[in-house]
Amino acid sequence: MGVKGMDLNWSEKDLRFRDEVRVFLEEKLIDDLRQAGRLMTSVYADHQASMTWQAILHERGWAAPEWPVEYGGCDWTLTQHYIFGRECALAGAPALSPMGIKMVAHAIIAFGTPEQREYFLPRILTGEVFFCQGYSEPEAGSDLAALSMAAVDDGDHLVCTGSKIWTTHAAEANWIFALVRTARGGRKQQGITFLLIDMTSPGIEIRPLVMTSGEQIQTQIFFDAVRVPKAQVIGDIDHGWTVAKYLLEFERGGGAAAPALQVMAESIAAESARRPGPAGGVLRDDPAFAAKLADVRIRTEVLEILEYRVLATVEAGGNPGAASSMLKILSTELSQAITELAMEAAGSRGRVYQPHATRPGGPIADYLPPPDGYLSGDPWQAVAPLRYLNDRAGSIYAGSNEIQRNILAKATLGL
Amino acid sequence: MDFRLNPEQQLLRDGLARFLAERYHLAASRSAARTGAGWQPPIWHALADELGVLGATLPEWAGGTGGGPVELMVISEELGRALVIEPFVETVAVAGGLLARAGGPEATAVLERICAGSAVVAVAVDDDGEPAHAVRDGQRWALHGTKAVVTAAPLATHLLITARASDGLGLFLTGFDAAAPPPGARVHAYRTIDDRRAADLVLDGLSLPPAALIDADAEASVRQALDEGAAAVCAEAVGAMRRVLTDTVDYCRQRQQFGQPISNFQVLAHRMVDMYCELEQAVAAVFLAMLHLAADPPTRARAVSAAKVTVGRAARFVGQNAVQLHGGMGMTEELAVGHYFKRLTAVQYEFGSSDFHRARYDRLTRGNSGEGL
Repeated sequence: MGVKGMDLNWSEKDLRFRDEVRVFLEEKLIDDLRQAGRLMTSVYADHQASMTWQAILHERGWAAPEWPVEYGGCDWTLTQHYIFGRECALAGAPALSPMGIKMVAHAIIAFGTPEQREYFLPRILTGEVFFCQGYSEPEAGSDLAALSMAAVDDGDHLVCTGSKIWTTHAAEANWIFALVRTARGGRKQQGITFLLIDMTSPGIEIRPLVMTSGEQIQTQIFFDAVRVPKAQVIGDIDHGWTVAKYLLEFERGGGAAAPALQVMAESIAAESARRPGPAGGVLRDDPAFAAKLADVRIRTEVLEILEYRVLATVEAGGNPGAASSMLKILSTELSQAITELAMEAAGSRGRVYQPHATRPGGPIADYLPPPDGYLSGDPWQAVAPLRYLNDRAGSIYAGSNEIQRNILAKATLGL
Repeated sequence: MDFRLNPEQQLLRDGLARFLAERYHLAASRSAARTGAGWQPPIWHALADELGVLGATLPEWAGGTGGGPVELMVISEELGRALVIEPFVETVAVAGGLLARAGGPEATAVLERICAGSAVVAVAVDDDGEPAHAVRDGQRWALHGTKAVVTAAPLATHLLITARASDGLGLFLTGFDAAAPPPGARVHAYRTIDDRRAADLVLDGLSLPPAALIDADAEASVRQALDEGAAAVCAEAVGAMRRVLTDTVDYCRQRQQFGQPISNFQVLAHRMVDMYCELEQAVAAVFLAMLHLAADPPTRARAVSAAKVTVGRAARFVGQNAVQLHGGMGMTEELAVGHYFKRLTAVQYEFGSSDFHRARYDRLTRGNSGEGL
């Protein structure tokens, strides 16, 4: 029976593109960067490695392929974007920080003034400007629109007072994009303004939050009467919610999650063939373990088809709609299952705290590495617990999976 | 990369869906299953004559229209959505493929009758205990063994029987009437929980002529047929789950408790979203299986096993939660959901259980280059 109609194959043109990306990765993804990718403990790579990789990509014109060509993006089809993401993941490239290139830049492109675009976009590409994100507040998480950080009108400036939390890489950033409250009364979505703030402004204090992994990537930021020129508002004052909603689509947006998950699952398969099993032999041959491994691999294969389907829909001019919410739920929950399985594969080594053998996305608190660099077990076993702990974030960030289910209930089931 | 049906495939789907909506009634099919003939022959003939569905995936040289996996998917899904009990998967998806690959005048004649709607073929593959075997008896063959749960055998005009002969796994074709079994064959017919007819066959020297052996080395063909059957019931389950989810959402929006529709309660809304996500994964899994059905055997088997595991999990979750959300009424035979639940349960154990397919997938992924990429 030959297949007519549908197919799962890339076109000749897409295959040539894939080969071009592979050649590039083979040449430019140096060992240190590959290692930084392989030893990542969360979705954030070692900051230096990530910036180095961004510079290499920028040299080739591939640092921000999703941007419009006139600002330095690539004239690629959606399929080519997917292939690029897939190949980078399969090659083990470190992830780029998403906040600048993949997030705020899209707001600047869509809602910014010509001056804002001209200043920020080239600097985001080179890494000279590095953004962090100021959305959540201690009292505004899932209910983001309840945010209350005040921005009071003072002529040419807004004067900002309040606090932001879950800001990733605030210490490394020189700019933050924030949602602030410029008006009260009316619907809570009204009176919000999207603002770019220079992190060197007086009145900003950063408090690192030490996560369960020991990493200090997340922070809380306090703003005490920070003066921000109105020229740094993106879009209109009081209408920042429109900008934020636009950006959330990019934050959730389908993308290529399956390839990175595939790499993680394959690596568990390979390592488990070298670990002792619970009943003799190797772990890979233990039926209970093998069944769990098969399950996560199957879920990964199926997720990839779902990603292709969304891609094909959008490529044909359709709207992914709430599919991005479904992909967010499925990919983060699958990632959690895989990081859990890595813990099982690591065995007793999964309890050992040895971040010095990993490449975390930020500094480690209160930890003295062994002077002789001793490592109990293998590097992947040192990575496993940190990934497991950090990966709890997947179902919490970017709209918790419960919020995504609310969205799907409404948009897809009409509830 | 393309997931769209071509215009002919859309016509096939729409025509079949319309036919089933107008002519296939749940009550009539249940009554046929329980107290009637076990099926509705007029429906079967209409599938052949009015819609061309029975020949849609069979080769043109045998009277079919030469469709492939996508046609198989489209048809199976619509049949599942309407909870059709007539033996399409057994006769067309499984037997049809075995006969087409065997070739020869006997097989071709039966294929032509399948396309015309005048043959129902049951496939006796599963051995109960010792593998069935065929021994020479002069020019003829004598078959021994027990075949368990041969779906559609009580309705069948023909049987395909696998039995090990000295040269390999033999595939035998014979005319059949369960009401008057030939000497050397005992038939214990029964109804399945999902309202199909099936039988255990005890072969004790069933004597067949030389020409009955239509494929003397059928191992590979049988594996392919079982994969095609598995892929078809996966698509069927997707159709059934679509209906069940729609019914569940509708019911929860209507059903009032505590002064409001129960769909307002977040715990129920999220449950239905999880059902939806399982269904969408099942849909993707069926694409995975169908679009690899024509690939080399290990690739095909791996994709089909991935699909069967995914659909098995989805069928269980969606079926069980559909009953739960319908409350006590979901357990009765009065609503459609109870009948669909039974089919979604049976699907998990047809053409290899989830555990079988998970284990096979595991075996097939070990061959990867160093388990790597």
